[in-house]
This record gives sequence, C-alpha cells and structure tokens, in this order.
Amino acid sequence: MSTQPDIAPRWPTFFFKRVGVTRLAIYTSVAVSALSILAICLTLILNGLPILGQGGIHLLTSDWNPASGHYGILPMLYGTVTVALIAMLIAAPLGILSAIAISEYLPRAFRIPVKAALELLAGIPSIIYGLIGIALLAPFLSDVFDLQSGRTIFAGGILLAVMILPTIVTLSEDALHNIPHVYRETGAGLGYYRYEIIKDILWPIAKSDIIGAMLLALGRALGETMAVMLVIGSIDRIPSPLTNILSPGQTITSKLGREISETAFGSPHFQALIFMALILLVIAVVLTASAQFMTKTETRLVD
Amino acid sequence: MTRQFKSRLFNSAVVAALLIATCVMIGLIMTIFIKGAPAISLDFITAPAQNFGAGGGIAYQIIGSLIMVAVAACLVMPMAFGVSLYLSEFVTSAHMKKILLTALLTLNGVPSITFGIFGLIFFVYGLGTGISWFVGSIILAMMMLPTITLSTYQTINSIPTIYRENAYALGMSQSQTIWHVLLPQGFHGAVTGLLIALARAIGETAPIMFIATAFSGVSAPRGLNEPVSTLPTHILALAQQATNPQALQNGWGAALTLMCLVLFFSLTALIFRYKLQKGQTL
Amino acid sequence: MIITTRAILGSIFCFAFSATGLTACTASDVNKVAISGSSTVMPIIATAAEDYRAHHTDTRLIVNAGGSGVGISQLGRGQIDIGMMSRDIRPKEYEQFKGLDFTVHAIGRDAVIPVISSEVYDAGVTHLERKQIAAIYRGEISNWKDLGGPDKEILVIDKEASRGTRQVFMEYILGDKDGLAKGADLVLGSNNEEQTALTQSDSAIGMLSLAWLDDDVRGLSLKLEGGQIAHPTLDHVIDGTFPIVRDLIVVTTQNSSSEALDFISFLKSDAGQTIVSKTGYIPLSSSSSSSSSSSSSYY
Repeated sequence: MSTQPDIAPRWPTFFFKRVGVTRLAIYTSVAVSALSILAICLTLILNGLPILGQGGIHLLTSDWNPASGHYGILPMLYGTVTVALIAMLIAAPLGILSAIAISEYLPRAFRIPVKAALELLAGIPSIIYGLIGIALLAPFLSDVFDLQSGRTIFAGGILLAVMILPTIVTLSEDALHNIPHVYRETGAGLGYYRYEIIKDILWPIAKSDIIGAMLLALGRALGETMAVMLVIGSIDRIPSPLTNILSPGQTITSKLGREISETAFGSPHFQALIFMALILLVIAVVLTASAQFMTKTETRLVD
Repeated sequence: MTRQFKSRLFNSAVVAALLIATCVMIGLIMTIFIKGAPAISLDFITAPAQNFGAGGGIAYQIIGSLIMVAVAACLVMPMAFGVSLYLSEFVTSAHMKKILLTALLTLNGVPSITFGIFGLIFFVYGLGTGISWFVGSIILAMMMLPTITLSTYQTINSIPTIYRENAYALGMSQSQTIWHVLLPQGFHGAVTGLLIALARAIGETAPIMFIATAFSGVSAPRGLNEPVSTLPTHILALAQQATNPQALQNGWGAALTLMCLVLFFSLTALIFRYKLQKGQTL
Repeated sequence: MIITTRAILGSIFCFAFSATGLTACTASDVNKVAISGSSTVMPIIATAAEDYRAHHTDTRLIVNAGGSGVGISQLGRGQIDIGMMSRDIRPKEYEQFKGLDFTVHAIGRDAVIPVISSEVYDAGVTHLERKQIAAIYRGEISNWKDLGGPDKEILVIDKEASRGTRQVFMEYILGDKDGLAKGADLVLGSNNEEQTALTQSDSAIGMLSLAWLDDDVRGLSLKLEGGQIAHPTLDHVIDGTFPIVRDLIVVTTQNSSSEALDFISFLKSDAGQTIVSKTGYIPLSSSSSSSSSSSSSYY
C-alpha cells in the first residue's frame, strides 16, 4: 500500500475505489434517468398512436362523442391555443415592461428583494390559482360581463397570465441585467434618452433571451392543468364566433384531467386521450427546446 | 411626436406596468392570507377531515403531502448527484454537454399531467400497483430530477478546475476527488436545488391526483400500496364545493397552509443560496 | 460549518427516510377495504365508514369518488374491493370483465331531479314536461321566457358522460343514456360541482340527485304524460310517481375480502339504513320495488 498518499482515504472511498462503486453508481443513475425519460415517451407513443390507425383523419373534427365513436380533438386544440394566447397577450407586455422597470428604473437597493419576491411568487401552486378562479374570478367575470357563467376561456387565460407573469419578469430582467453597464453609459454619453437606450441598444441584445423566456412561459401555460380545469367550463365545443372568449371551452389538459381516470384502459377513447397528451408533450418539448436555442446564441458582449 | 414626449410616454408605461404587476401579485398573496387566516387554528392543522372536508381539519393531508415529498426527495437525490457528476466529470465533449443539458431543461418543461398519465399507464395499469402513494413519490421524484440536477451541476461545474488538478496531483483517484473535494462543495447547490424542487413538488396536483390519492378514509399510510390524501388534491375537492361556505373556508385554510409550506421551502432555498454565495472562497 | 450543516441535513434525511420506512413496514394487522365510484353514493359510504371504523378499529376503509364508470372499471381491474354505482351495470361492462362475478348489493334508492336556480323557480317555472327538458338539452329552447319564466338565457349544465347520474337522467329525458346534449353550456363532474355551478348562476338548469337539493337549487316537478305532476319529494319517489329513479348499489366480486362484505352488511342493517335516510336518500325498506329488502339488525 505504499502508493497510497498521505491523505489516506477513509472509507467510503477506500471501499468504493476497490470496487468501482462510485463509477457504477453514477452510471446507474444516468441510466435510470435516461430510461425513465424513454419510458415516458414510449408509453405515450404506444398508447396514443394506435388511434391514428383507426381513421386518424377523423381526429381533426370538432365532434367529440365517445359513445358514437367520434373523437374530434379540434375543440381541445382550439381551447389550449386560445387560452395560452390570451395569457401571453396579457402577461408578455406587462412582464417585459415590468422587467425593464426593475432592471433600468428601479434603484439598486430594491433589486434583490424584488427578485426574491418574484421567485417566491413563481412558486405558488397552480391549484391555488384554480381555487381563486372558481371562487373569485368566475363570479366576478359573470357579474362584470353579465354572463350566465364566469367559467370561460377568458377566465382560464387570465389565471394563466398571472401564473406565468413572475417567470417572464424574472427571466427578462436577468437578460437585461446581464448587459454590462458600458452599453448604457455609452448611450447616455451620446445623449440618448433612457427609453432610446432601451429601444436601440439594450433590446437588440436582450431580444433573444427575452424571446426564449416567452417561449418557456408559453410552454408552461400550455401544459397547465389545474388552473384551467376548474374554470374553463369543460364543454367540447369551439365557440361560435371564433373570437368569443367569453364562452366556455375545453383544453387538452382539462380534458385529460377530467376523463383519463374514468376511461377504460386501451379503449379507443383512452387512445384518443393519450394522443392528445402526446400532441401536448411534443408542443411543450419543442417550445422548451427552442427557448434553449434562443438563449444560447451568444453575442459578443464588450466588457 | 418629439423624442421627449416619446420618452415620457415610455417611462409612464413602464412604471404603470410595474405598478399593475405589483398590485396583482400582492393582491394574490393578500387574498390567500386574508381568506385563509380565519380557517387556521391548531385544531385545523391537527384534526382529520370530516364531511367531505367541510368539517374537521387537514392533519392527514399535511402528513400525506410531507411523506410523499420526503420519500420523493430520498429517491431523487442519489439520481441527481449521479447525473450531475456524470455531466461534469465524465462528459468531456462540450457538444455532448450542451445536448444533455438541453435534454434536462426540456424535461423540466414537460407538462405535469404527462407525468401523471405516465404513472397511470406504467405503474397503476402496467405493473398493477393500484393507487399507491409510493408510485406518487416516484413520479414526483422524476419531476424533481431536472431542477436538482441542474442546480447541483452548476455548483459542481463552477468549482474551479484547480481543485481537481490539486487533488489529482496529490494522487487521489477520481472517486476520491468526487467524495472528498467535489461533493462537499457541491452539496450546497444540491440542497438549494432540492428545496426549490420541493417547493414545486408539494404543490403539484395533476401528477398525483389519479395515481396516489384518495379522498376520505385515509390516515397515515401503512404500506406502500395505499393512497394518501394530500393538500393540493384536498383543495381541489373543496374547490368543487365552492358554494358551501364551510368547505370553501377550509379550502382557503388549506391553500394558506400549502402556501406557507411552499414559502418555507422557497425561503430556505433563497437563504441557502445567498449563504453559498457569501461563503464561497477561492 | 459545512460539516455541521451536512450533519444536520443528513440526519433530517435519515430521520425522514426511516420514519417513512417504518410506517411503510408496520405490520399490516390492519385490513384495508378500498371503495370508489359514484359521487352520489359516496356521502353514504363516507359517513357509514366513519361509524363503522368506530366499532371496527382494525379495518381501514378508504373511500374515493370518480363516478360510477370509475367504480366499475376499477373494480373490474381489481384495484378496489367495493365499487359504488348510481346506475345499473351495463351489458358492455359485464362483457368487458368476463372472468369476474359481480354481486350487486342495493343499499338505497335515489331520484335524479332536474334542478334549476332558485331565481327561475321563484319566478314561476316550477314544473316542466319531459320533452321541454329534452328540447333545452338539445339546444332547441334557449331562453326561460319560452317556458314562462324570466327573460334570461338558459345556462344548460351537463355532466361528464361516464357519470351514473347523467346516464339515468338522459335515459329518461332523451331516451338514450349516452345521448348528446347539444345545447349544453358547461360540463361538470361530481354532484358537488354541479350544485356549486347551479348556485353561482341565476338561470341555470342541471341534474342532481335528490339529496343535493336546497334553497338555492330547486327541484323541478315533472309533468307526466297523463297530466299528473310528479314532485321531487320523498313521497313521490317512494310511491313511484316520480319516474327518474335508480337503485344505489355497491358491487363486489368474488375476490372481495370478507371485511368488505361485512361492511356491506352493515350498510344494509338498520344502522346503515338510518345513515342512508339521514344523508337524504331513500332507505331500502320504504321503497316499493327493491332487490334486497333484508335489513338485518347488525349490532
């Protein structure tokens, strides 16, 4: 044992090195993680794709009636997209402007508490949003807009907007804050107003990161279940003027949440539901991956 | 429109946006606190639920939530350490690293109900485990993995190479380096990631609502194959009785309790992270 | 400092892990009965379970809702011991689970009432005919004023298709238990949720079980073919005037444990039947047609 260094290892490394256990453990955990991701994808694919074999084109109708074998998923797609769109239309301008406010306008001392508060807010569980939605927001909407019921696509959109707002603000603020001060000082030295510095100097640099943040938030909005399930109305129908967001609707996540446990495993109904889950997964993955690509483009920053 | 006018307009828009956002968020938190505070009492937290939750308290829901996330944390920590060590020590090509990191981040963006469906098909139907809290913990562990891995990876990766070089120069093997040099310093990152992931996991409803939970009759689980009752699913059940004032009241109380737990984990994570930044020396 | 933190965290982990491990491995001297299914039957079962547990501390009854469809399918898959249903088992379901012998135990009777918001009821709409309700659900009538009520759009509340309550209701109203309600505005799940939505609205119509009627959710009387008015009251349901009725059943298989069967005898006993009527349903003995009127005294 003369090759042992003076800082002789105690167990566990003595034992581990002998047996190579550490390396084994690491490889095992990587294998398990990779396998579980694979398992998720495979499970969904195997259970969802068969529905395409049985007249897959009929999925693209808007008539969902399992009892008569109709599995038109258009209402769910429409609802998902619309709810996410409303959420982004509300949260994106609000979020980006707030991020600009925090990064450029707010005194330095405020930044840390505000960032901390944002992180805490981003963690509010979605079921609490659902509770607020059904107990407060839906009655409020039905009073304000004189509706029969406040359970509408609009209510879902508002809840999602509030959910993704902290995420957008935090990530956008990070993007702006990371730009070195030299840029701002140069602009000020040239006589730019603050707004022009932001518009002409900072925005082009931060743009890709901010768009990445929005894609991430959009992905989150699309995949959210609890906040929409309670307030969306769950009616499998596309609203009759397409833009009537004050009517109830259905999203993929709400449909899944309500029906998946009641459906016979393996039946066409089940397969149709899993197919929708697959679509949702693909969209979410594509959005998240694109967000990564956007934020990875490194512009050379002068430091 | 003069430049000055545009500038003033923009400034006001920015300030207005911040004000709106702040009011909304503060309003949100205040609503939860104000509505939930009347329901909270020692009784509420320690008594079991009765009458569909319209009466009684939320004791078993709190216990159920804590048990599930505690076991999930135990399941996921070794995995997270393993994967992050693999990424930082065993993967040398930067290209590969980028791909794997993107894969992890993408896993983070998978909708939570997808995990629930996977659990349903794979475990409940496929392996025939039935409604089991342990399966719920497994699913939560899968959801927590990316967050903890990324946080641990970032910490371990930012340990300067000189530490590793010193260790190798002293004749330590890779596993010794890992155990004695990297892990002690990377531990903080793992704990921070764990706390953030716990904050998220304890509030999750969709993944566990049809594979791990039951509504009434559950107390502390006695085996691996039993359902539990958790705070988020309890709030869901109460939200569906929103016009029953007692049920709604209890719902707010449960929401407040859940918020407090989430806040506890998040705040601890924040404090840990700042302590880490302060304590890091080179 | 690091060692101390690590030690603390490590010990918390070990404690948590061993605590859960211990609870998980505690000798199961406790017998577990898993029950799930109809949200209509659940109040009875949940209350009875609390009573039963007081006398049988070694049996654990775990109750879940999900709907009649969930009840029979989970029972068929062997995940639960007792399935609660508020409708009969369909031939398709017997087919699906061919290897199992389902035993149906009726524990009470219930009626499904068309309910409307109290504002509409107080404005004068107190009874409707079957075809009027069908027209509402098909979307042919959309305003209460066409039915003698206030000038308000009807908010048509439907239920998820697998719910027993809906199937029983639609069998009578539309003639087809899986009938599509084209005029529906909202689709909700449990009786709880429907009651909430009906209370929140002032012009809604929905379907609820008898036990869920209250001041905000008023039951409509049905004008039958012969001109007779059937009221949604206990008397009319018991003597058969009110047509939309169903047995509340719990189902077991040949694999269900003896504790499960014991609990079911408790449900059928006097003590259990008192719970049935206290919850707002109709106990077996007072119904004119019941499949098992053997209410034995349990204690």
